[in-house]
Amino acid sequence: MDFAYSAEDLKFRDDLRRWLTANLPAGWGRTVFEPKDEDERARFRLDWEKKLFKGGWNGIAWPKQYGGRGATLIEQGIFAEEMARARAPEGLNIIGRNLTGSTLLHHGTEAQKQRFLPKILSGEEVWCQGFSEPNAGSDLASVKCQAARDGDHFVVNGQKIWTSFAQYAQWCILLARTDPSLPKHKGISFLLVDMKTPGITIRPLRQISGESEFNESFFDDVRVPAQNLVGELNGGWKIAMTTLAYERGPEDALGRQIRFKLELDQLLETASTLKRGGKAAIDDPVLRQKLAKSVVEIELMRLNCLRSFSKSLKGEPPGPSASMLKLYWSHVTQSMYETALETLGPLAPLGEGDSLSPADGRFQLSFLQSRAFTIYSGSSEIQRNIIAERVLGLPK
Amino acid sequence: MDFDFSSEQYMFRESIRGFLEESYDLKKVSALMAGEGRDPRLWSKLAELGCFSMLVPEEHGGLGLSFVDLALVIEEFGRALVPAPVVETIVSTDAVARFGTEAQKAQLLPSIAEGKLTMVPAIAEAEAGFSPDDIAMTAEVAGNGWSVSGRKILVPHAKTADVLLVATRFGTDGKLGLVLCEPSRSGVSLRRHEAFDPAGRFYEVSFDRVRIVRDEILGGDPSGRSVERLLDASGAAAAMLMTGVAGKMLDRSIDYAAQRIQFDKPIGSFQAIKHKCADMAVAIEASQSAAYYAAWALAEEAPELTKAVSIAKSFCGDTARQVCNEGIQIHGGIGFTWELGLHLYLRRAKVLEYSYGDAAYHRERVLASALAEIQRRA
Repeated sequence: MDFAYSAEDLKFRDDLRRWLTANLPAGWGRTVFEPKDEDERARFRLDWEKKLFKGGWNGIAWPKQYGGRGATLIEQGIFAEEMARARAPEGLNIIGRNLTGSTLLHHGTEAQKQRFLPKILSGEEVWCQGFSEPNAGSDLASVKCQAARDGDHFVVNGQKIWTSFAQYAQWCILLARTDPSLPKHKGISFLLVDMKTPGITIRPLRQISGESEFNESFFDDVRVPAQNLVGELNGGWKIAMTTLAYERGPEDALGRQIRFKLELDQLLETASTLKRGGKAAIDDPVLRQKLAKSVVEIELMRLNCLRSFSKSLKGEPPGPSASMLKLYWSHVTQSMYETALETLGPLAPLGEGDSLSPADGRFQLSFLQSRAFTIYSGSSEIQRNIIAERVLGLPK
Repeated sequence: MDFDFSSEQYMFRESIRGFLEESYDLKKVSALMAGEGRDPRLWSKLAELGCFSMLVPEEHGGLGLSFVDLALVIEEFGRALVPAPVVETIVSTDAVARFGTEAQKAQLLPSIAEGKLTMVPAIAEAEAGFSPDDIAMTAEVAGNGWSVSGRKILVPHAKTADVLLVATRFGTDGKLGLVLCEPSRSGVSLRRHEAFDPAGRFYEVSFDRVRIVRDEILGGDPSGRSVERLLDASGAAAAMLMTGVAGKMLDRSIDYAAQRIQFDKPIGSFQAIKHKCADMAVAIEASQSAAYYAAWALAEEAPELTKAVSIAKSFCGDTARQVCNEGIQIHGGIGFTWELGLHLYLRRAKVLEYSYGDAAYHRERVLASALAEIQRRA
């Protein structure tokens, strides 16, 4: 057990910090923030991603031949921490980088890797994820969107939902049924779909938070070249599981942890300055207990990630234990945002933009956004099933 | 960066677990409910395995290891409900090795390493809260030494312990320190508590003008830090024990849920049971992160030691509470029987939950240190 970093790792951290200071706008995260308008924000995030690429910091974990820098797991951890600490924008191509890229590196053909990977990193091609359907949510394997073979093409017909970033995406990773006669897990294929293909319609969905990050997407006789099949025909379920393990694992959670920690620090500062009945809110012993509980839980989110990282370093493959990380952090952070509203107390009903709303309503917005944590990338109920059956060995 | 144990540390855990599973089952634990609750064979076997020599420095006949090497071992002690003075002696060893005078170390440590000496902390008082600030027992100056009066409660195995490590104030300035004192000393009287954990042995220990000399103060002079360290190490060890208790309770619940048939199916196939078990597993995973990190902070005397201990003690306490309650619920009626023995895990966890600071006390310490960190940065 050793929490010290090597000299090379410290140099990596230093280089990254210097680059971030030089490339983020002055006052970033304190006086200067992302644009509020969603389309402007998307452009801003994509520009940031292109900047990262030019600096050699995009997709650092990928092999050099595909535009990455072959970063070690430790370097990836440091990268996630530093980006979060600098409150760096998240980029727009999260799905391309984290999901499409990781999946193609495992299951793509050489031609697919060379065609798609470099353009994900350069920001030329943004990706979205076409997995869920109105009637295939937690029961993802029941997807009905069809891909029928027609010569050297698949013809896709159906509907996808919760397609984040579809309105900005050039490409989509799509789960489609290629053989309805087979058992449901065995008739699904994993396709790469050009979003400019005729027959695709996108309709934005407004979310609880008022934002419209995700969409409904409709596929009407959409022709997809057969060479855009990833892995084997009808072998898409296993590939989708690789994708989901990356979505739930420590690579994702470690950076999130720092962002939650920054929010928690901001909450403690707010609680210390907020006046209530002649005292500071932080002087309320009941509130102190709740805030302390969040301090404990957010710190343990970091330690869980570091333990999981250390196991990966010793060669343990990412698997169902990623569900434990995700189930843990999604619930403790939801409870943190509940406590945030309790901290605001009588001012909690004020929204973003009201002059009296503490921290300009950011906690109200984050609270609303947090309701998604226990639903996306596998609802908590699904994570619990995975843990119970595949980690603890309980019967189906 | 490596937040994991070495293969040697895992191997040592396996040998401890193997020994305990083979020779120390719930029947043995129940047998300890009679008499003085000591199992000399267990003690000597643990000594033979090296458990008592781990924290003893090499120059005093020990292995010179740290709490990182002990974390998995103490977790196993929790799983197996190893009786109290084992861990108390190990934790006291840490205090003696760090704060004792050369003479005190030479006198005590070799015997501890050989498994021949039992030492237990005597800290809690009936009218105190969990903070060491509340300790009221006082040693008054008397001649060329001190005279100690007052009362300690919940001292584990005080009757059979060789040495008590007593937290007391000294003289008019009230500085805290630790006194080494045998329970047989004149002026010391013992009363056995009726205790919540029938497999434990707890005593009220009263001191009536007990004479001590300077050589019996740990380190020669009163040291508040020695009391804090003893409390931190005890709290962290309790967190490791509770994590072990919770882990065992989950394992038993999973085994039971997999074989208990109702409605023609194992109850473990029902989501109501599965989801409980998954939540228990996630809580235990995070408890391990907390307890192991506290072990590291103790070993390294890390600047975040206090915070790490309090995170562990509060979180692992909450987890043990949740897991023991849910484990009994999963077992249904049979879980409520004395005979099955699940109450022994519940009771042990409950005692640990309220020893060395409960969750609310430790959360308050966590918050204080988080606010101090923010102020330092500002």
